[in-house]
Amino acid sequence: MTKTDDGMGIAAPHDTPVPYRERITNYYLALGYGKPYQWAHYADVPFTPLKKPLSESRAALITTAAPFQADKGDQGPGAPYNAAAKFYKVYSGDTSEDHDLRVSHIGIDRKHTTAEDINTYFPLTQLRKLAESGRIGSIAPRFHGAPTNRSQETTINQDCAELLARVREDEADVAVIVAN
Amino acid sequence: MSLIARHLEENGVPTVIMGCAKDLVEFCGAPRFLFSDFPLGNAAGKPNDPESQAFTLALALRVLETAPGPRTTVQSPLRWNDDALWKLDFSNIDQMSEEELAERRKAFDDIKEVAKKRRVQDGLKVHAAE
Repeated sequence: MTKTDDGMGIAAPHDTPVPYRERITNYYLALGYGKPYQWAHYADVPFTPLKKPLSESRAALITTAAPFQADKGDQGPGAPYNAAAKFYKVYSGDTSEDHDLRVSHIGIDRKHTTAEDINTYFPLTQLRKLAESGRIGSIAPRFHGAPTNRSQETTINQDCAELLARVREDEADVAVIVAN
Repeated sequence: MSLIARHLEENGVPTVIMGCAKDLVEFCGAPRFLFSDFPLGNAAGKPNDPESQAFTLALALRVLETAPGPRTTVQSPLRWNDDALWKLDFSNIDQMSEEELAERRKAFDDIKEVAKKRRVQDGLKVHAAE
């Protein structure tokens, strides 16, 4: 922990979770976009208890990463933001195979992250280890890719419904969702 | 991703979100959330550090199985580095000159144009909010 010189172990003033809402709102206002982005928020939050132990559960993996597309420009590592690499429909991939997924199309921290290691945003390797050790029952046969670029309305009405359908098709009991 | 977690949970699938943007996930309202206090893009652990990646996923699963109710956030004890100065940089206009802001304004206009073309090309409705 970053400590001040007070000898009491108190962290430095800047050493708190980054206030992204405030930063992004002020940033776009400064760029001249008058209407700040409105993040969706809810008063009520759903919660489903586990139905069985994780050691007997099939886990789905959901990611915002995109399959590498050779004709879509620089996708990293270390790529600048690349809107051309976006995708617009839910996709799925075989979890028994390795995949080349990238995050050049989303708002990662490009100053402090190159995205050179897929395991920092797509934990399939670690999930396999936990399936092998019996920590989880199994990995669902497919992982699922979630588009990130649309309106909240599209996310809720289209993408969420599609993801649920695929998770159910795979008979997954739980889902690990990796945000980026 | 919080919207996806909510939809799955509403329909009987327990979830855990792994993420680095504490305020964004909590603002939306997520069922279970493992927060790693790392730069965006490292929700599953540090680069080239399998130990950190294994620890992070293991902790996410602990959150999944032990959360007592919705809006459970657990913060990973892992640190990106000692001084944490990276936190001052992301989209922080206080750290930018007028020249840099002007450059970014131009770059942002270009990006919006590319995204708009892609959507039209895909026959999709164009949304302004991005």
